[in-house]
Amino acid sequence: MASVLLVPCLTLAAPGFLRLAGVGPAWAVLWLLPWALVDGPVSGMVAGAAAGLLLDALHPAGVSQWPALLLLGFWWGRMGRRGPPIERSFSLGLLAMLGSLLLDLSLMLQWLLASLQVRADGLISPGGIDAFRLAQPGWQAADLAQAGLHVLLARVLLTGLLAPVLCSLQLVFWRQLCGGSLRR
Amino acid sequence: MPARRWLRFSTTGLAQAWPWLLLLTALAVLRLSKGALLSDAYALLSRPFWPGTAQSEWLRSARRFEDRARIAALESENARLRGLVGLQQATPARITAPVIARDPAGWWQTLLLGRGALQGVREGSAVLAPGGLIGLVSSVTPTTARVTLLTDPSSRVGVWVARTRYHGLLTGLGTDRPVIRFLEKDPGVVAGDVITTSPASTLVPPDLPVGVIQSVDLRADPAPEAVLQLAARAASTDWVQVVVR
Repeated sequence: MASVLLVPCLTLAAPGFLRLAGVGPAWAVLWLLPWALVDGPVSGMVAGAAAGLLLDALHPAGVSQWPALLLLGFWWGRMGRRGPPIERSFSLGLLAMLGSLLLDLSLMLQWLLASLQVRADGLISPGGIDAFRLAQPGWQAADLAQAGLHVLLARVLLTGLLAPVLCSLQLVFWRQLCGGSLRR
Repeated sequence: MPARRWLRFSTTGLAQAWPWLLLLTALAVLRLSKGALLSDAYALLSRPFWPGTAQSEWLRSARRFEDRARIAALESENARLRGLVGLQQATPARITAPVIARDPAGWWQTLLLGRGALQGVREGSAVLAPGGLIGLVSSVTPTTARVTLLTDPSSRVGVWVARTRYHGLLTGLGTDRPVIRFLEKDPGVVAGDVITTSPASTLVPPDLPVGVIQSVDLRADPAPEAVLQLAARAASTDWVQVVVR
């Protein structure tokens, strides 16, 4: 479980060549996917929440990553227990892309709700330029539709590209560590 | 016969004097052309002896020295005048800090600095890179400080156009280029105007260069806005200066 500390470390120290247009991959997804697939839904949920809380500590408050990661951990844990074992690179890549997409969509949704809330409040003063509304910090709907979409696409692509390599290695490692006690 | 003799004399005289006449004509042409050929010939001949680049270097270094002295004098006078008016000092202490982690794009556009509360960095301190302001410190731990860059969507900094003295709000959009939203309907700015921090600001030190206006959109909603090219590049900066009050 201590390997969860790798997630914030990699988020902070990811080298430049592992970035796409300055955007790094979703390291939490890349770590959580093999963990949850091997260790089951409960462990996946706990690991997802732990990684989410660690990442939230690194970023300014306002939005949170742990709910999405908790759900992803549960989903992937069930998938690992119920279905046939997932080992193909293509499946891992696809699952990681989906996970990164859901994680980023959850962040965008939180910012969107926050900006809509402010917009509703800001409509009180009609006429002229509403300085209060201009000064509201955070991602606004227009920013999310432009820059936000680029960040989302870059992260999903990069996570999907790295997942086959990194997640396969982790799967092999975790399964060896579990000593074959889990069913294959 | 005297006429014939004169004619003979004049023809022989002309035949002897024509080189002199030619010379006189050439000199007259030289005079009328205001020494064109003469000056050009002189320039051509004296070219090897013209002053070299060394002289321009001396001039430039003298100019730099003069500029430095003038800046020092102006800064001290500015500080004295600001003191008299009771405004914030323009040159507070600065701490040099290394950038130990960076995230210049993505959902949070931040830098992590290797200096923190123990070294005197406070929340809200302005952070400068070569070129100008890059962001404000958003949180500190004992040994690190997190800087929210001007390009981050949560960044809001008061700036002004020094030429027209109009204030605006520098707003990050998540892209490389933030926008300035003006509080006046017609701010009278054009592309190329230099943007500095507002001299009336209480959050950031006054008159720090921020960037140059790239384009202006007067019909933007909800306020006129201008796209800004930042003067300092956060993505490639390894050391920054934190302004400590």
